[in-house]
Amino acid sequence: MNEHRLTEYLKRRMPDARDHRVVGLKRISGGSSRETYAFDLEWNEGGQTRTLPLIGRRDPTGGLLKTDREREFKVIAAMHRAGLKVPEPLFLELDAGVMDRPFFIMQRAAGRTGMGAFPATEPESTRAKVADDFLSELARLQSLDYRECGLEILDPPKNPEDPARIQAAHWSEVYERDRMGEHYPILTAALAWLNANLVVTDRVVIVHGDYRSGNYLYDDNGIIAMLDWELAHLGDPMEDLGWASMMFWGREELAGGLMEREAFYRLYEQKTGHRVDRKRLFFYQVLGNAKMAVICLSGIRDFVEGRTSDAVMPFLELLIPQLFKDLVNQLRLV
Amino acid sequence: MLRPTLNELISGMQRTIMDALIPELTSPYAQGQAMSAMGSLALAAGLLESAPAYDAAEIKDLRATFAALKRLGDKHLSTKSGLRGALARAIRAGAKNPPDRRAMEAAMAEFATAVALGHADDSVARQVRGYLGRNLERSLKLLGDSPLIA
Repeated sequence: MNEHRLTEYLKRRMPDARDHRVVGLKRISGGSSRETYAFDLEWNEGGQTRTLPLIGRRDPTGGLLKTDREREFKVIAAMHRAGLKVPEPLFLELDAGVMDRPFFIMQRAAGRTGMGAFPATEPESTRAKVADDFLSELARLQSLDYRECGLEILDPPKNPEDPARIQAAHWSEVYERDRMGEHYPILTAALAWLNANLVVTDRVVIVHGDYRSGNYLYDDNGIIAMLDWELAHLGDPMEDLGWASMMFWGREELAGGLMEREAFYRLYEQKTGHRVDRKRLFFYQVLGNAKMAVICLSGIRDFVEGRTSDAVMPFLELLIPQLFKDLVNQLRLV
Repeated sequence: MLRPTLNELISGMQRTIMDALIPELTSPYAQGQAMSAMGSLALAAGLLESAPAYDAAEIKDLRATFAALKRLGDKHLSTKSGLRGALARAIRAGAKNPPDRRAMEAAMAEFATAVALGHADDSVARQVRGYLGRNLERSLKLLGDSPLIA
């Protein structure tokens, strides 16, 4: 992103303000599916200087995921309206001429984050608050009616068996597209198992799609904002719970580094008023491992084929054996 | 021997990034990318050393596993499962010079799928599980347990 072009753009979007200034524009890591930039916007309003910390998310040239930024923006906007802890989205720009590729701008939330499991170095009191907030936010998300949120754009499933079928089929397609002619027997088998063992949901909810430790900002008082909504869709409530509690996000007994797994499931039941369906949970944990492995292959392909120069992408190769280890254990392939 | 060797070249590039580039970078994002590039070079050095042995072990194991499956005989491979054709393709691929590893892995994917779906009998499943376990051990040894990213 370019400071001058960004300033000119914000002038057009905020015509009542004066003396717009973009300060401290810098690219930051995180949110790997889009280029993410942090900056402050300063402007004059009624004789007073105002400052707003912002984030710009621009479409990547390549990377982990191919997702629709308009859909992501609308989901974040709907979540913000519904009172969930998300940064307020401000401007969506689909004209690639403005900043080379489409982008959107949202408020920048404060707080810290980890890369995977919740950091073991944090105090127990913080971990407990974050764990509680993590499931409270998930319960609130799953209590929303997508129609009331204006999210019919998320292609509502027609039948209770659709959510599992759609997800299994989608990640199978991405695997076929991005495996670069290679064959990964464990992943092929896992995807075949998923397509042959579809589960039926008891209700359709808004699914975040990447609800896990590492995708929220927090401080000592708990979660400040849930991030990275680009995979949001409508589906089975067990999908986010299964993804969040995968071994991969916390190798030890703590789900996401937050809470012992059984306690995590019990607290989910208390917060949502719905029981954890173990069969569906298992399906979505298998799906989660397969999906993460496929996402790694997509990132590797874009790196190999020159669509991204993100130096993190080669390391995705290192994640795959661990995901395969979980898959063979789940499906008794060893 | 040509000097620097590939490993010496990689070590030198890592030092260049660390000593000459990173101190000049002011953006934390650029610093992170430079650190990742250094890590990539370390990964490349490790793979240069270990990948040939890994590849050789993979091919040897695939050939041995398919040979063992062939010894079991057709009665263990139902015609419906398509595994007889997969086995024939794998044996042919393994006999090529050089062996067609991708075709052998494609056949192994069919066998692994049959096991996952419960379409393989116990003798076949035992051989396939044995291979998958060894394959996984080799991969974990090659690439190791890794920190989470993304």
